[in-house]
Amino acid sequence: MKKLISILLAASLLTAGLIGCGESSSESKTITVGASATPHAEILKVAQPILAKEGYTLNIKTYDDYVLPNTATEDGDIDANYFQHKPYLDSFNQKNNTHLVSVAAIHYEPYGIYAGTSSSLTALPDGSKIAVPNDPTNEARALQLLAAQKLFAIRDGAGLSATKNDITSNPHNYDIVEMEAAVIPKSLDSVALAVINGNYAIGAGLKVSQALAVEDKNSDAAKTYANIIAVKKGNENKPAVQALVKALQSQEVKDYITKQYGGAVVPVS
Amino acid sequence: MNHELSAAFSAAMLGEYGNGFATTLYLVVVCSLVSYLIGVPLGVILCVSDQNGIHPNAPLNRILGTVVNIFRSIPFAILLVVALPFTKLLIGTKVGNNAFLVPLTLSAAPFIARMVESSLKEVDRGVIEATQSMGSSNWQIITKVLIPEAKPSLLVGAAISVTTILGYTPLATLVGGGGLGAIAVQYGLYRFQNDIMYTSSILLVILVQILQEAGMKLAGSVDKRAK
Repeated sequence: MKKLISILLAASLLTAGLIGCGESSSESKTITVGASATPHAEILKVAQPILAKEGYTLNIKTYDDYVLPNTATEDGDIDANYFQHKPYLDSFNQKNNTHLVSVAAIHYEPYGIYAGTSSSLTALPDGSKIAVPNDPTNEARALQLLAAQKLFAIRDGAGLSATKNDITSNPHNYDIVEMEAAVIPKSLDSVALAVINGNYAIGAGLKVSQALAVEDKNSDAAKTYANIIAVKKGNENKPAVQALVKALQSQEVKDYITKQYGGAVVPVS
Repeated sequence: MNHELSAAFSAAMLGEYGNGFATTLYLVVVCSLVSYLIGVPLGVILCVSDQNGIHPNAPLNRILGTVVNIFRSIPFAILLVVALPFTKLLIGTKVGNNAFLVPLTLSAAPFIARMVESSLKEVDRGVIEATQSMGSSNWQIITKVLIPEAKPSLLVGAAISVTTILGYTPLATLVGGGGLGAIAVQYGLYRFQNDIMYTSSILLVILVQILQEAGMKLAGSVDKRAK
């Protein structure tokens, strides 16, 4: 009799344990998202209470670079990430054999041409230095914005991988200085003009209204470079992920973005 | 693969490697010279004012030692950013190769001071005492005994210091500078063009080997111990 009871007890405990395990892995109420510090992590913080009301715990993990959050998502260390745009994601998947997909677009950060030692786009002395970010998609976007302002011409079709070498005509011989995006805002007194990312402009206390030129809201750039929520392929329809997207696209978050960032960050949905 | 290979060795890239090689050499040579100009006197003072030195001076030694330690503790990328206003004051711009030389030198000089101090402290006490008993001044001891006797060690230290400086040159890309390291970072790390990254890295390794060999050979030719 004792043996029967202990066997039954063990069996029911085991079953309960298995059921418990099954539940937590398919319906986890915790979601960990990797993000850049500004504005992504800040926006996620606003979504935290919204998700809490739905019963979800949102853990935010901040990253300083643009490689680790993707590898962490691929490896399953984090559930999703929020720091990049689709062109970067596609390029990353291609070069690194990862399987990340975009779930939703949340906002875009207009690129701006900011004044350095010169506050005019037309009266620039020949040979002036113009600072652009040195990493691929950001440099391409910066060069396209400058070309759209007619400062020089870029080869047709250079698109998202444009580099200094794709400049076909530069009649005023502007010196394009490729440098670390984060250092550009600190070097405004050493260049005539600077093209700065939304993230770093905010961090440096610059206002979009100060920019000499900005990417148009209806431009291809705005649509292409919207910042997305990315997950590993197969996780798109997980309830926690869908709840995350819903929270980030809610009116509350949209209002926060519009009020907080004064035009430097613009919700897209 | 073939397309990528030809991209790594296209006319445009070959030109870039050439410029990169020259720029890296420029950065290393100028930084080393100026850092030694600052570091040698600093190292001499640190050695001489030490409690076992020929002219002990505890307060001076402690203050100088602390300043050197502070500069050595600051991570280079932070030093670069913090020094930006000073860079602008010194050379008028925060971008470019010369702008990079400022924090590079601020970082290398204390490192070299410690290496020089260490080399000088290795000099045989007996030789120093013999010279002192002959009535020579401290200046004579420094210039005629300490530095000449420490020459092999100083040269080994120089080989280490120069290759360390070389190791930091890729960070020139932070402020729009150039060099082989910057090419490796911009094309290799950022654009995943591995062939360009390997090529520029190999060129850098070759440069390092040349400098290291030259340094060791020079040290060997003046080392009395081996004879």
